[in-house]
Amino acid sequence: MEILNSAREFLLGFVMVVMAIILILALIRAIIGPRFTDRIVAINMIGTEVIIIICVLAYLIGEQYLVDVALVYAMISFLAVVVMVNLYLTVYREKTLKSKEEAEILSHEHGIEVGREEYERRQKASMKAEGKEGTQ
Amino acid sequence: MIGEWIRFIIAAVLLLFGLFVEVRAILGVYRMNYVMNRMQVAAMGDTMGLMCILVGLMILSGFTIMTAKMIMILLFFWLASPVSSHMIAEIEIVTNPKADQEFEVTKP
Repeated sequence: MEILNSAREFLLGFVMVVMAIILILALIRAIIGPRFTDRIVAINMIGTEVIIIICVLAYLIGEQYLVDVALVYAMISFLAVVVMVNLYLTVYREKTLKSKEEAEILSHEHGIEVGREEYERRQKASMKAEGKEGTQ
Repeated sequence: MIGEWIRFIIAAVLLLFGLFVEVRAILGVYRMNYVMNRMQVAAMGDTMGLMCILVGLMILSGFTIMTAKMIMILLFFWLASPVSSHMIAEIEIVTNPKADQEFEVTKP
C-alpha cells in the first residue's frame, strides 16, 4: 500500500510538472507569433492545459469540488475566442468596405467578404494564372 | 490488492500516453511554419491528449461524482473546439495579405 500511494503521487506530480513546462512554452509562442491568429491558437492551447492541471490537482488533493472550476474555465475560454473573432471581423469589414452594396456584390462573387484591395489583388493573381495556362 | 495494482497500471499507461501526445502537439506548433498548419497540430492536442488524460483520471477515481463532471468537461470541449477552429480559419482567410502563398482558397 505504501508503494502504491507513493507511486501514484509521483506519477501525478510528474504529469503536472511537464504540463507546466508545456504551458510556459505555449506562452512564449503567444509572445513571438508574427500574426495575431498565432496568438489565438496559443491561448486556446493554454486553456486546454490549464484544464488538465486543475483536474489532476483536484484528484491529488482529494477535494472534488475543484473540477467545477475547470468546467467554467473551458466555457469561458471558448466564449473568449468567439467574441474576439467576431469583434475583429466586424471592425475589419467596416474599415475596408465602402458601402453595403459593395459588400453584397463582393460576397456574392467571392463567397466570403474581403476588402476591396484584397479582392482586386486576388482577381489579378487568378487572371495571371489563367493567362499562363492559356498560352501553354 | 492485485485489483488496485491493475487499475494503477492501466491508468498510468493512459496518463503517460496523453502526456506524450501533448508534448508532440507543442513541438508541432513550434516546427510548423504557417497558421493553418499550427492550428491542425494544436487541435490534435485538444482532442486526443485531453481524452487520454481524463480517462486515466476517471479510472483512478472510480464511480464518484468527479467522474461524471469529467465526462461533462470532455463532452463540452469536444463540441466547442471545432467551432473555434472554424472561426480562426475564417478570419485567417479573410485578413491574411499573403494568402496565395500559404494556402489555396477555392471558390465555392
